[in-house]
Amino acid sequence: MSDIFFLVLRRLRTPLILLISVYAIATLGMTLIPGVTPDGEPWRMSFFHAFYFVSFMGSTIGFGEIPYEFTDAQRAWVLVCIYTSVISWLYGIGSMLRLLQDDTFRNAVSQRAFELSIKRIHKPFYIICGYGSTGRLITQGLAELDLKSVIIDQDSDRTHMIELEDMRTAPVVLTADVTEPQNLIAAGINHEHCKGIIAVTQNDHTNLKIAVASKLVNPSVPVICRSEVEDEADNMASFGTDAIINPYTTFGRRLNLLSQNPELHRIHDWFINQHSAIDIDSTVSQHGLPSGKWIICGYGRFGKAVREHAQDSNIEIVVVDIDPIANNAPSGTIVGRGTEAKTLIEAGIEDAVVVVAASDDDANNLSILITAQQLNPKLTTIGRVSKEANHQLFKHAKCDYIMRRNQIVASEVLTTISRPLVVKFLQYSSSLSPEDTEVLVKQICRVAHNEDPITWRLVIDEKNAPAIVRFLNTERSFKVGDVISNPRFPNSDSILLLLWRDGMSHLLPTNDMQIKLGDELLFCGRRNETLFAQHLRDNIELVDTLINNNPHEIPLLRWLRRRKHI
Amino acid sequence: MNFEKVVFAFFIILALSLNFSFFVGDLAEPAHHHVLELAAALVVSLICTIMKFGDRTQFGSTVLASSLVVDLLLIAAAITWGVASQSHGGLTTSTMATITSLAGGALAANLLSVILLIIETSQIRK
Repeated sequence: MSDIFFLVLRRLRTPLILLISVYAIATLGMTLIPGVTPDGEPWRMSFFHAFYFVSFMGSTIGFGEIPYEFTDAQRAWVLVCIYTSVISWLYGIGSMLRLLQDDTFRNAVSQRAFELSIKRIHKPFYIICGYGSTGRLITQGLAELDLKSVIIDQDSDRTHMIELEDMRTAPVVLTADVTEPQNLIAAGINHEHCKGIIAVTQNDHTNLKIAVASKLVNPSVPVICRSEVEDEADNMASFGTDAIINPYTTFGRRLNLLSQNPELHRIHDWFINQHSAIDIDSTVSQHGLPSGKWIICGYGRFGKAVREHAQDSNIEIVVVDIDPIANNAPSGTIVGRGTEAKTLIEAGIEDAVVVVAASDDDANNLSILITAQQLNPKLTTIGRVSKEANHQLFKHAKCDYIMRRNQIVASEVLTTISRPLVVKFLQYSSSLSPEDTEVLVKQICRVAHNEDPITWRLVIDEKNAPAIVRFLNTERSFKVGDVISNPRFPNSDSILLLLWRDGMSHLLPTNDMQIKLGDELLFCGRRNETLFAQHLRDNIELVDTLINNNPHEIPLLRWLRRRKHI
Repeated sequence: MNFEKVVFAFFIILALSLNFSFFVGDLAEPAHHHVLELAAALVVSLICTIMKFGDRTQFGSTVLASSLVVDLLLIAAAITWGVASQSHGGLTTSTMATITSLAGGALAANLLSVILLIIETSQIRK
């Protein structure tokens, strides 16, 4: 506040001094110049009258000559005064308007407004550095979860776009250079409600700088970074960056999972992409990727990640690249882009099962996909989209699995920060046997009515589940089977995926496991449907009727009976 | 030599001098206090205040504060004078005493401004 105030005072110094001087001289002149009363007696204006006259002369030029008609000498002086005072007023107002348009002043005002809005945040928030397509997806995801975000981006065009977006929780925006630590501090890295920093700029090195700065300024705030280059990622990890997300390795891992254990891949896909459309063909998602010959066109970071993750399985990889030596491609690489039939035939497209269009050019990738499908209609196709806007074209090209970098990073970030139990579940789920996974997938399909399921976390404490806590306090047993389903709510069935207690996780607990105070439960159920546990958590009547077997329909009787028990 | 500093010191000292020249004389005697001196002291003091606007040093803000005090007291004196001279009784000795003592208070604050100015000047390393 004081910044703006002092800036205004400083800039208005000259016009104000000018105004005061003009008024003082005009008033003085009026008192000194002799006048005449109507009776012909000499008369001089007092300071009081002179100031009164000058005041209205300066602003309106006119209530007339008071208290007595002026002499010619007085009129001459008034004439001088009128012009000087009008000019000094114009100058003063002009300076004021110029100040309002001044960049320094506007920066000071917007800086102040930003600081105020940071100070006024009274709920958890995340700082998002970089508002590209990834940053946008994350902001939208956070807004849906009713979490506030503070966005820093250098590009004023992008930050102005945010004002037009329709979000449930409006983000706070700062147009500034993220690599400067004071901007991170201004964005509230030391704020008590700051939950984490998400560095998702296009540039790995910028993300690294953000991570270093935030770990030095406030080590307790978690940092999540996007990184597409291995050594930058190692560097980030070396000083304790909490999560590093590389879209290429993430996707490579998913492809490997899809070919080895499609059921588990399906579970991952459901739970990670809860708030975004899934870009995978349903038959591929159910049956997985076939083993056999895979053709990878383009051996950049994505191509390398795919090959690396497919190496330990019985998949034969053929790489097609325009410059095998520069890209360090394996021996046996076919030279070419893969966009022309000749190269693809040379790579053996007729007996291949999967083609991966992995170059960094969307037009080339589309061309590869279309040509490959013409040569071998039974192929499964995987395509990489670089520009978000081209995503629709890949859908039209009947690409079976579309790799969207921004989407992958955004989903991973959102899962990491907002669904800690899902992350744990996915970690432990790899220990499930393929048969168990298959059973689980069938169960999920049943409760979700063959749509994409949704997860929901419930903490058994006073704030989140008052009715259940009250019931538990009466020392009665409360089992998993009691919360997951009830015949009275046929569409509200759910599966308990994980029970987290005292730092130990219980994967898929059985129905007779006891629920205790402080447990964290991860449910999975049908989208857009209130789960039974959601009905139960704060409805004392419902807990009483369904769990406590207190079926009295008349509230008074039920109340009496409950009193006897408690 | 900084021209801005000279102008500022000039105005501060001028404010003190004018204020003193108005104040000096018998407290309640209207003949000893000229209205022009009060007007000049008030205008110079206002200009002083504006010249100190936007100075964020500790000295600057104290000088600004004391010159705001001067403005306040002198404006009060001027209003008293204006009201008294337009009323039926005219300027009595008791109102004159009020006006002069208000100006005396302003003098104290003006003196403080000048002392601060001297301290600030003496602190500049040669």
